[in-house]
Amino acid sequence: MITVRIPTPLRPMTGGKSEVEGTGNSIGELIDQLNGAHPGLKDRICDEQGEIRRFINIYLNEEDIRFLTGKDTPVKDGDEVSIVPAIAGGCHD
Amino acid sequence: MLSIPSDIWEDMIEHARALDPHECCGILAGTDGTITGHYRITNILATMSEAELARFDQAKLSDLKQLSPEERADIAFQMDAQEMSQAQKDIRQRGITLRAFYHSHTFSQARPSITDIKIAMEFESYREKLNIPEPFHVIISLQDKTTPVIRAYRIRHSTATEVPVERR
Repeated sequence: MITVRIPTPLRPMTGGKSEVEGTGNSIGELIDQLNGAHPGLKDRICDEQGEIRRFINIYLNEEDIRFLTGKDTPVKDGDEVSIVPAIAGGCHD
Repeated sequence: MLSIPSDIWEDMIEHARALDPHECCGILAGTDGTITGHYRITNILATMSEAELARFDQAKLSDLKQLSPEERADIAFQMDAQEMSQAQKDIRQRGITLRAFYHSHTFSQARPSITDIKIAMEFESYREKLNIPEPFHVIISLQDKTTPVIRAYRIRHSTATEVPVERR
């Protein structure tokens, strides 16, 4: 199994869990499989063209998948995948 | 303590002024507290539609949905994830370390908002697992347009503590 870390804004879709487990041979397959278990998750992570949204980074272990082979990046049992929103903020309270 | 060379200090202020009234954002890198690298990152909020915003963070949308994308960028920022990663890659290749995230407040003080602290804590929950060192959070205030103020903070346990920052 592959451990996937879920950021706070997406936890309503995983029943509040900060980590879920998934399967697949690539990041793309993993996202599809997770979407089966947690419907709607893919739409939040990927845009209409299926690319990772521009405010999200996905890390395989400690490496950003954009510097590996993107959604084709191979994954295997024991890997850790983190879905991380890019840094944001604002002056409004 | 953060030590920022004059050229980077001026470039940060120029970045904030160039985007005013939108917030600017970026990354500082260096060795220990001495900054040697500066990366301007695009604030994508100005070009994010409500539909796109809604895809990720409903809580953020509820705060911002009354506003146009342009207006949202006046009071908030969202770093472009790809540029942020590219900067992190360059930082690693140069053998330096990510030391701070910065952004501007175009009409308020140089101190972290509740939103800044909340999002910093969210990032903190991943940081060590991704082997990213603890960043300082630097804010450029353009509240007084003629005298910009730069302040730096550590944000831990939902509390922001100011740290000294020097221009050298």
